[in-house]
Amino acid sequence: MDEYRVLIVDDEKELVTTIAERLQIRGIQTDTATDGETALAMIEENPPQVVVLDVMMPGIGGIEILQRMNAQNIKIPVILLTGYGSTEQGTEGMELGAFDYIMKPCDLNILISKIKEAVKLYG
Amino acid sequence: MKEMSEKEIAFIGKITAGVTHEINNALASIKEISGLMEDLLSMSSTDSFPHHEKFVKVVPKIREQVERCVTLTTQLNKFSHLTDEYTAQVELNDFIGHLVFLTQRFARIKRVDLKYQPADQSVKFSTIPIQLQMAIYYCITYFLSHTDDGGKIIIHPFMNGEQYSIRIKYEGEVSDKTKLFNDSSSKEELLILQDVISSLEGSAEFDGSVQSINLIFEVRQENN
Repeated sequence: MDEYRVLIVDDEKELVTTIAERLQIRGIQTDTATDGETALAMIEENPPQVVVLDVMMPGIGGIEILQRMNAQNIKIPVILLTGYGSTEQGTEGMELGAFDYIMKPCDLNILISKIKEAVKLYG
Repeated sequence: MKEMSEKEIAFIGKITAGVTHEINNALASIKEISGLMEDLLSMSSTDSFPHHEKFVKVVPKIREQVERCVTLTTQLNKFSHLTDEYTAQVELNDFIGHLVFLTQRFARIKRVDLKYQPADQSVKFSTIPIQLQMAIYYCITYFLSHTDDGGKIIIHPFMNGEQYSIRIKYEGEVSDKTKLFNDSSSKEELLILQDVISSLEGSAEFDGSVQSINLIFEVRQENN
């Protein structure tokens, strides 16, 4: 799966770095960001194939990142990570064009299959 | 005991919801870290890693306990949201199933099997969720504190014409059946229960001979 390149954005540093390491073990090249501003800059500079976004983050949250990507016409599939009290935001994200959303803690195999589906669909 | 105001209860609900969110984030990290340990173990040979086999057995147990905690925090989060609105529409089967999950521990300590027998049909109705949960909880704890260890508590909601009832029945040993609902120590507990039931505009029937409490409410709902 070397052809996949993913950006994971979550303010829980331990979580993103560990998920990234596990994805890398499985051959998925993974970059990480722990805030929205950094994520947006990374998306603009070096667009990944898939963005995995936590919806609830201090500052710019996942939904706002998605809105800004839409405003800049950035067509990258987004998988949202939702938690308690943010499942509605998952639905809202879908309306804004997110590829899918998954509840945290997520199953890594499910995340990988969503990443694969997204890459397949968006090319 | 002074009663808590609606605002105070809502405050507890908000804080609890926030904390469950944080616990969930920590659990997500623990889950991934244990997953990474499993990944690394699967990549290492038994020769290069002391106690390799033991680790292979132990590490998945971290994941199992994380899953257990996630279930608990999910239910606690759901519970904390009962205070979001003073009155709300609830689905009775789901609502009671949730409370039964949360009160299992109290029953387990008394070696009582807490069972939930859902209603045949889905019943949605408007109520004060936190108070209805309290009422059912008081019934459960009443039986737990006034009966011998062991036995079974069965909670069964059902429609009865224009009313819906929730029957909480104890099946097991009671040292003196005549004292059930009648002794002096019962008075205060039953008064609290009656008070809650009154705020819900319902009534409670106590039957010592069959060891049951029936909570009865008028139908104010959409019946599916």
